[in-house]
Amino acid sequence: MTDMRLTGGCQCGAVRYVIRETPYQVGICHCRMCQKAVGGPFFASFTVKKGSIEWTRGSPAVFQSSLKMERGFCRDCGTPLYNNWTANEVIHPAIATLDDPSSVLPEFQIGTESRLAWTNDLAELKAMTTDDIFKGYEALLDEIKGTNRQHPDHDTAVWPPGPPRAS
Amino acid sequence: MSVRITGGCQCGAVRYALSEAPTEPSVCYCRMCQKAFGSYFAPLGGVPTVAFTVTRGSLAVFKSSDQAERGFCRDCGTPLTFRYVERPRISVSLGSLDHPESVLPKSQYGIEGRLSFFSTLTNLPAEQDEPELVRRIAASNHQHPDHDTDVWPTKGREP
Repeated sequence: MTDMRLTGGCQCGAVRYVIRETPYQVGICHCRMCQKAVGGPFFASFTVKKGSIEWTRGSPAVFQSSLKMERGFCRDCGTPLYNNWTANEVIHPAIATLDDPSSVLPEFQIGTESRLAWTNDLAELKAMTTDDIFKGYEALLDEIKGTNRQHPDHDTAVWPPGPPRAS
Repeated sequence: MSVRITGGCQCGAVRYALSEAPTEPSVCYCRMCQKAFGSYFAPLGGVPTVAFTVTRGSLAVFKSSDQAERGFCRDCGTPLTFRYVERPRISVSLGSLDHPESVLPKSQYGIEGRLSFFSTLTNLPAEQDEPELVRRIAASNHQHPDHDTDVWPTKGREP
């Protein structure tokens, strides 16, 4: 028995999950297939047994990217949720879909033959906070916050909370 | 000099073309972009809306707030676009470009959401993939190639 309990889900909240196992084999993959799956330079994921993840709300849609691999996502908002080597007993959820993505630290990288050169320098680029970006556009930021349809980073008994909020 | 930059989702159901090069490409670490991309950040480059054309299929759209729409492929989930509904611009996800190496992010946005270990990721130990596994995946790869195709998929997909 473990007391481990990690929750997460997609952006819109249609799909939620709980994991009852300590994640292992945490890493990022730069291969071109992982790039396309997330629309970005790499896929960051961890490993748990398939029996350790429970879909607590909704269920993922699946794209079979090859005969070996299924990729789960939310059909309502598109969030990439996991990679699944179909023959294996483990599954690889996307770290950023965890309610606390800082709780799992990557330890290795693979697929480095496809690593985009610009990935290396991202943290050195000119940086702005969200408040900096919206200076002079505070009303727009307030409206985004006031009409935010992203599921909060914790489980909810009911979602969405009510009828769409008026703008 | 005409520009044509192409891209699309993983399965190839949605393809797009840009008639201008994206300006001010960036990565955004805000929690909304993280969730939309299932990733530590969203890499995006924008063009005027009139310079963006969907050339195959159509975008599914999630309105993450009243002000913003996020486009994706409903068949494979690839995050593809971001736009503010009241602005005449649209951004595409840089990883969905056929040549993602050709558009370099210039800025980091939403830096308050950047995870503390982010800058160390590309210094992590690099491990080799298993060659036999790589070969077997390549033999049954259902990903659309990184160029436009007249017909896709080219053959039925095995179960």
